Amino acid sequence: MGQTPLRKKRDLLPYALVTPALAITIAIIFLPMFQTITYSFSQYILYKPQEKGFIGFENYKAALSDPLFASSLLHTFVWIVSIIVFQFLLGFTTALLLNRRFAGRGIARSLILVPWVTPSVITALMWRWMYDGNHGLINQLLAKFGLIKEFIPFLAQTSTAMGSIIVALIWQGFPFFAIMLLAGLQAIPDELYEAAEIDGATKSQRFFNVTIPMLKPVILTTILLRTIWVANSLDIILIMTGGGPGYSTYTLPVYSYIKAYKGMDFGYSSTIAVLLTILLMIIVTGYVRNILKSQED
Amino acid sequence: MKRVIAVALILLIVGSFAFAQGGKEKTDEVQVVKFWYHFDNPETALNPLIEKFEAENPGIKIEPERISWDTYNQKLLTSIAGGYPPDVAQVKLWWQPQLVEMGALLPLDDYIADWDGKDDIHDRIWELTRHSDGKQYYMPLQMVILYLYYRADMFEELGLAVPKTREEFLDVAKKLTRDLNGDGIVDVYGFGIRGARGGHDWWGTFVLSSGAEFFDANGNSKLTTPQAIAANQWFIDLYTKHKVSPPTTPSDGFVEVIANMKSGKTAMTIHHLGSAKELEAVLGDKISAAPVPKGAEGYWTSFGDEENAIFAATKVPDAAFKWASFLAEAENNAIWQKSSGQVSVNKSNASADADRFLKATTDSAEFAGVLPAHPGVSEFVESLWPALMQQAFAGQITSTQMMQSIEDHFAK
Amino acid sequence: MKRTHHPLRMALGTYLPILLIVLFAIGPYLWTFISSITPETDLYRAEFRFFPEHPTGENYTRLFTKLDFTSNILDSLLVALFTALLGLGITVPASYSFSRFKFKGRNPLLMQFLIINMFPIMLLIVPLFVMMRVVGIMDTHFALIIAYSTFTIPFSTWMLTSFFNAIPIDLDKAAQIDGCSRIGALVRIIIPVAMPGIVSTGIYIFITAWNEYLYAAILTSSKIRTIPIALQNMIGEFRIEWGLLTAGGIISALPVIILFFFIQKQLITGMTAGAVKG
Repeated sequence: MGQTPLRKKRDLLPYALVTPALAITIAIIFLPMFQTITYSFSQYILYKPQEKGFIGFENYKAALSDPLFASSLLHTFVWIVSIIVFQFLLGFTTALLLNRRFAGRGIARSLILVPWVTPSVITALMWRWMYDGNHGLINQLLAKFGLIKEFIPFLAQTSTAMGSIIVALIWQGFPFFAIMLLAGLQAIPDELYEAAEIDGATKSQRFFNVTIPMLKPVILTTILLRTIWVANSLDIILIMTGGGPGYSTYTLPVYSYIKAYKGMDFGYSSTIAVLLTILLMIIVTGYVRNILKSQED
Repeated sequence: MKRVIAVALILLIVGSFAFAQGGKEKTDEVQVVKFWYHFDNPETALNPLIEKFEAENPGIKIEPERISWDTYNQKLLTSIAGGYPPDVAQVKLWWQPQLVEMGALLPLDDYIADWDGKDDIHDRIWELTRHSDGKQYYMPLQMVILYLYYRADMFEELGLAVPKTREEFLDVAKKLTRDLNGDGIVDVYGFGIRGARGGHDWWGTFVLSSGAEFFDANGNSKLTTPQAIAANQWFIDLYTKHKVSPPTTPSDGFVEVIANMKSGKTAMTIHHLGSAKELEAVLGDKISAAPVPKGAEGYWTSFGDEENAIFAATKVPDAAFKWASFLAEAENNAIWQKSSGQVSVNKSNASADADRFLKATTDSAEFAGVLPAHPGVSEFVESLWPALMQQAFAGQITSTQMMQSIEDHFAK
Repeated sequence: MKRTHHPLRMALGTYLPILLIVLFAIGPYLWTFISSITPETDLYRAEFRFFPEHPTGENYTRLFTKLDFTSNILDSLLVALFTALLGLGITVPASYSFSRFKFKGRNPLLMQFLIINMFPIMLLIVPLFVMMRVVGIMDTHFALIIAYSTFTIPFSTWMLTSFFNAIPIDLDKAAQIDGCSRIGALVRIIIPVAMPGIVSTGIYIFITAWNEYLYAAILTSSKIRTIPIALQNMIGEFRIEWGLLTAGGIISALPVIILFFFIQKQLITGMTAGAVKG
């Protein structure tokens, strides 16, 4: 954007401004996180306190040869990509529509927030109930319109379980993109559009030459933050399928959670968590560098 | 600058720790017993029992906390691992091996020896809840036994008798699986299997009664014997071959299993007294109950239980035991069961005019069994069994592979 | 964009897609509502009904008379509101700094906010439990506000930095020429212009805190009970209080939706506040 940062040498103001945010996160997250990372190098099964001890990279070796880790990783990848793509597309479309002037806009804006403000436990149970293969609303509707003859056990078969949960999560999260992108759209000065129009730009040209570039920082950041959030989300999966049927909806956080709180194996669970974090870091580093660079330009 | 911040933070944290240590208050006069429990009905409150207890035991105050079932175990473990467990908490038998292994529990034998109420508890309950090291850590609280629910009207309509054996059961289940309106789609299924978490009780009824055993008398696994694998195959076949259980079976939890009974989607299932009231509310006389059928080698049904444990870290063991034993005394236990809808642990509470559901429960008491006292049971119940069962139902693994995985898990 | 649209085009191009999206958004919510007014015995029937024969408000009455749902709402409101205020209060200056200054350690600092957000929080629970115990703030609103800040602050810092970056720096310079200090520029220029972004970030924090479950389950007990905890308590070992649960779900979404209805105007007024557009 061709900005020249305001900069003075030995200036303490920028540090002073970030200190509170830094202090609170480091104080509360840093110690627990450090402790958890040390678990990943330990044999640490909660009910075997006498066997607790340092074992080097054993957990990591085990994870890398664990077929369940590999399949959970694959599911995590499918999970993140499909959810982010659809949430973004739906959210962006919604933001563009809600940015127009029309009667009832305030109500529409408030109503699309519903999925996001509904507590996860309700969301998960409600969708599970709607998917139910014997009484569920979705099956009833499909049958009513003659689309199916026999009810589909959505969450009971490996072929449909993952897709069904993904739809529920798209539903839950698309308002986030809609609201954030709407706020971004509002910050684009009208003059830019007017200028483009005077230059004879068509509607789609205005969209690609004004809207997208102006919105780029917000788009990049929302996708980044949402990716991290989706990668770690597990409550909906736990309630809807618990990772099943079989292991077909195991993602890395689900696996890590089950290992820790069902298997009491905090060592291995922490290893999975650390590996997930490292993988995320690798994936987003290039992306983040891009964002940081565009901020500095 | 960063270093300054880091130093300041460390000082802040250390300082607050020191402050908190110094700030801990001591109360000697009133003994407070922290009690954790879970109840399915959110409207039920323990207040009457607590008031009664506190009136009888001045100087002891009960601080109850009702915790949701879904996070109960996690919260308990967190508090133990963090070093701050409650004094008394409602617990499950299958957690006992882990809790004992962690040194979290207080052995109660000396207390129980001096307790007047001990002879009024069913002997079978003492037997089942004693830990494998010979010590008693758990105080009985309630008894839950699984039995067979069936649609009496459908049995009558088809002229069927309540199945007594595994073979009769399969035969009946097949006959009950029907397409009622001739559209080629099955409308009623013979048997509702819980294929999601918690369904090991359904599985155990047919597999653990037909030759499979976690550990025999010598401590050897008998899960991969030909009989055990065949028994497991028999159970898998109910869903994959005979199709007497709905297609949704792999994802069905207790909500779905009971809903299917209510709507008439299934004609039989296994559950306990806790569902009797709601089933009767919808189905009236059409629902009835009997003990589970006999397997190839004998009977097995699940003894689902609730007990209270006292934690080793407690500062008030005497008061804690008073409260745990108070709840196991006939009069108070009867009040508790009014809320829980389950069966009292006291001999003197056994009622003569039992209805058909209570009768099915007590008739099953002598062969009701529990899973082995092994720290791996919890993981087996919570995640291993459902995953393996669902894979077997989907045809991804064989009966042999499933039983082998379970054996391997318990060999660890 | 001030253009007049053809009514038909407006209907097909704007109203229809919006209607579809709104329906998708509230469909499951409406179904939840219908479940909440259906008597328990009618929930599972052989024949399917969209609407109950005998709708009942009983679940709502039970929720407020037999259970203490009002205090659950208040607890949630208090926690969510203060988490949002604390979060914004801390991150607006931080983001301003990240957006407007180039200083040593800027990028690593921004990066660390992301990394701590990547780590699954469920594994931090045991150490956090111990920490809160030792400091002595277990089972207080404060414990939750602090705990939630750990994941809302990183998020909010990044989000606001991106919103601030979208504001031309010439505005700051103009303000400084007019005699504002840098903090003055933040308060008088940047905050009003970035209001839509600040408000939506605040909404994000509020909703996250409003719905958070895992931390609340472990860090609070009997004194504080937020809505998700109260709802979870209706799911038993062998029984789901379906009626209460759905009624609770409906009620718990309402305050936020109503609140948002009044706040959402802020999403538009940002750019017109102050004579900054020239």
